[in-house]
Amino acid sequence: MAPPIQNRIAVLRAERGLSRQQLSDALGINYQTVGYLERGEYNPSLELAFRIAEYFGLPLEAVFSRHPFAPMSDQLYRKEESA
Amino acid sequence: MIDDFDKLSVTELRQRGMTSDKILAEQKRRGMSKQQINDAWYPKPPTYNRIGSRGFRRRLVLATYGGWCLIAAIVVLSSMTIPGSITPALVFPILFIANGVVMGVWFFRKTYISRETLSSDAGLDERLVQNRNHAFRRAFQIFTLLVLLAWPASLAVMAAQPGEQGYNNAFVIYFAVGLLAATLPTALWAWREPDPVEPDPVDPN
Repeated sequence: MAPPIQNRIAVLRAERGLSRQQLSDALGINYQTVGYLERGEYNPSLELAFRIAEYFGLPLEAVFSRHPFAPMSDQLYRKEESA
Repeated sequence: MIDDFDKLSVTELRQRGMTSDKILAEQKRRGMSKQQINDAWYPKPPTYNRIGSRGFRRRLVLATYGGWCLIAAIVVLSSMTIPGSITPALVFPILFIANGVVMGVWFFRKTYISRETLSSDAGLDERLVQNRNHAFRRAFQIFTLLVLLAWPASLAVMAAQPGEQGYNNAFVIYFAVGLLAATLPTALWAWREPDPVEPDPVDPN
């Protein structure tokens, strides 16, 4: 079985105040599929991954990764420090 | 902005401080029917909430197939121990009802698992299509093996036990094959599908 692909869907959804139902309606997928994506129990196809990234207006690598993501706050803080 | 207001749910209107009377007046202004107003005030649990936990679904699979096996075992044992106690004319309706109950449980549960196993790709997302295809593929593998065993087995029992007993046992085998053909994909899907996600607190309903 392929290792789960990490994603930030739950964080991005919460940031935008979206419910799972709203996100699933917008993406045209089942409500449970959003939940399984967030829980890492389902790896999306490339097409769906692109659709999700486009929906959030972010590059694919900002939403999906093969390795665990560092917390967004850490990344932002480091960026501000290096700037 | 007005368009957005028209789409607000009862909960959202309440959050904006509207009283029940005003919400009802607003719904009538929107031209909602009595049924729509009733549904908005008392929303039914969405389908995705009714698939049940994986533990529940697995218990249901074991209970339905286990119950059917128990009835089949009683029929076979009664036929063997007390010859003539159960005639084929009695076995047929008993197994027909047992099959009907198991099929009813799997086909008439109001969940997407029972509805979408046999549906076309329309309305299914990529995960559901994958799950359905996997369930059918695995069911076909299991079913083929069982049919290859059941076919000679039914001939053997009729040859070895001429008369009613042989027919009774053959009936049990045929009904088992029929039951599996009808329900195995759904049962396999129900067995594999993970626990459902809970509705999140920001859900508008």
